[in-house]
Amino acid sequence: MDTRRLAHHEFPILGRAYFLGGRASTSIKQVLREAGVDDAAIRRVAVACYEAEMNVVLHARSGYMALDIYSDRIVVSVLDKGPGIENVDLAMTPGWSSATDEARALGFGAGMGLPNIRDQADQMEIQTAKGEGVRLYLTFKREVNGDGAPATGDGGTSG
Amino acid sequence: MLKAQPVVAAPDGQVGLSGCFAADLMSDVLAFAREGSLLITGLATDQAIRTAAIKHLVAVVVIEGKPVHSDLVETAREEGVPVYQTPLSKYEACGLLMQAGLRPYRKGA
Repeated sequence: MDTRRLAHHEFPILGRAYFLGGRASTSIKQVLREAGVDDAAIRRVAVACYEAEMNVVLHARSGYMALDIYSDRIVVSVLDKGPGIENVDLAMTPGWSSATDEARALGFGAGMGLPNIRDQADQMEIQTAKGEGVRLYLTFKREVNGDGAPATGDGGTSG
Repeated sequence: MLKAQPVVAAPDGQVGLSGCFAADLMSDVLAFAREGSLLITGLATDQAIRTAAIKHLVAVVVIEGKPVHSDLVETAREEGVPVYQTPLSKYEACGLLMQAGLRPYRKGA
């Protein structure tokens, strides 16, 4: 399996900065497009990142998303400094939410965040404990052409 | 039909619609809406626009004549998402569009 890392980027996320919520995900979408990643993968990554970013905005003090583009996959790591998740199984249950009224006023906090993220990603790992923030690792397979290389993309590194 | 006023107009004044999805919860839009649809929503914040852009929705209609924040307008311009405002309720707006033949546009539909 070809596992070259082609690029690494980091995007800061500010907790409670509601008006900025979604900017990091928009940037990630742009970077993936410029890297020549296939549209289907971009859509899945963008939706998962947006939900994950809003989780940080709504629940944590701060955090960041790291984007690693490999020739065969995309890895997004979302790390925050926040209250953590006490019961991950409960948080993964569609409809369960610990969000505030502020979150709901923004159209989030319906308890669909983590279930939506899980549906978009090929692999999802959560490391968290109460009071210790959340580390979320997502892997998305990308379409590659016959010789195992990305369909397009310059193969350079940045970030 | 919706008595809608453009808040951020489409560049050529036209929006090509292939279906419609209505929700106030952006997680529902992210989970269920399909690319190419119109979004009818009661959420008049930035997040409605960012969600529409991330899901490749073609335009956003804000219902109940809700005031649209200047941040939303700025984001809509940046993202190239046309935004309209209608005095109608969500139910009325959806009903009229459905009657006019605009199909529900969600996963599996």
